[in-house]
Amino acid sequence: MNNSVLWYTTRGAGAVSLVLLSAVVVLGILSVLRVQTTGWPRFLTVGLHRNLALMTLVFLTLHIVTAVVDPFTHLGWLAAVVPFSSYYRTFWLGLGTIAFELLLAIVLTSLVRGFIGQAAWRLLHWLTYAAWPFAVLHGVGTGTDAWSAWLFTLQAFCVIAVLAAIGYRFMTGSRDPLADARSSFQGAVDRREPR
Amino acid sequence: MEPKDTPHARVRARDAGMRLLTRLTTGAAVSAVIGVGLFGAVSAYTIPGTATTSTITSSSSSTSTSAGLQSSTTPVTSSSSSGVAVSGGSR
Repeated sequence: MNNSVLWYTTRGAGAVSLVLLSAVVVLGILSVLRVQTTGWPRFLTVGLHRNLALMTLVFLTLHIVTAVVDPFTHLGWLAAVVPFSSYYRTFWLGLGTIAFELLLAIVLTSLVRGFIGQAAWRLLHWLTYAAWPFAVLHGVGTGTDAWSAWLFTLQAFCVIAVLAAIGYRFMTGSRDPLADARSSFQGAVDRREPR
Repeated sequence: MEPKDTPHARVRARDAGMRLLTRLTTGAAVSAVIGVGLFGAVSAYTIPGTATTSTITSSSSSTSTSAGLQSSTTPVTSSSSSGVAVSGGSR
């Protein structure tokens, strides 16, 4: 395969991965807020969030594999696995490696959620808030096209979308309709079985 | 018209939601594949990463530069001989 094709694929897959990851973060926040309408049931948000997260991993893998096998860059597999081990733009590439590994951890723990328990899963899921900015910074610092108008616009769109969703979440707070029922039930259990 | 709260209506609503989820996931996957091609093409157009080269053919033995200088056609040669040691340098 032509080296240039690999390079263009790396850049294209990187941009698509950023868009998908941003969409996953936004959908995750919307699922926490229990957003639903008549034509958009809540399980749709959760299902789409899960499917897009898996899709993000696929395109991130394409992004990484095409970058590593490109003989022009000769980054090596170590740089894809061990953060800050690359000779090329060590810091920025390292952020990308960390973002990928965090996302991998989040997806894998989500797949075995039943085994690790809700509390541990929730704690690990907060890593998303670290993975996404690492991915954005990786794109800004490493990306060949970082300051090209098209990618700059794309990155700005992703950042605005995620920040708007986070802002909306903190403004509205929890929308769990069963929160009161849960707390009263827990209180009743605690009264019955004093620790 | 069927009431909204009946089990049958709920099942139908759930099926409709599942169909929408499948459609949205498929659409996202297709869009992502197209996106890789599209963004790859745009990136290739904006920063191709290859230098433009041209072949220069000369009909004469020398070419004239813009400053009027003549480039030499004398071949560059190299020679070798035994080494010379230099000593006694000042501090």
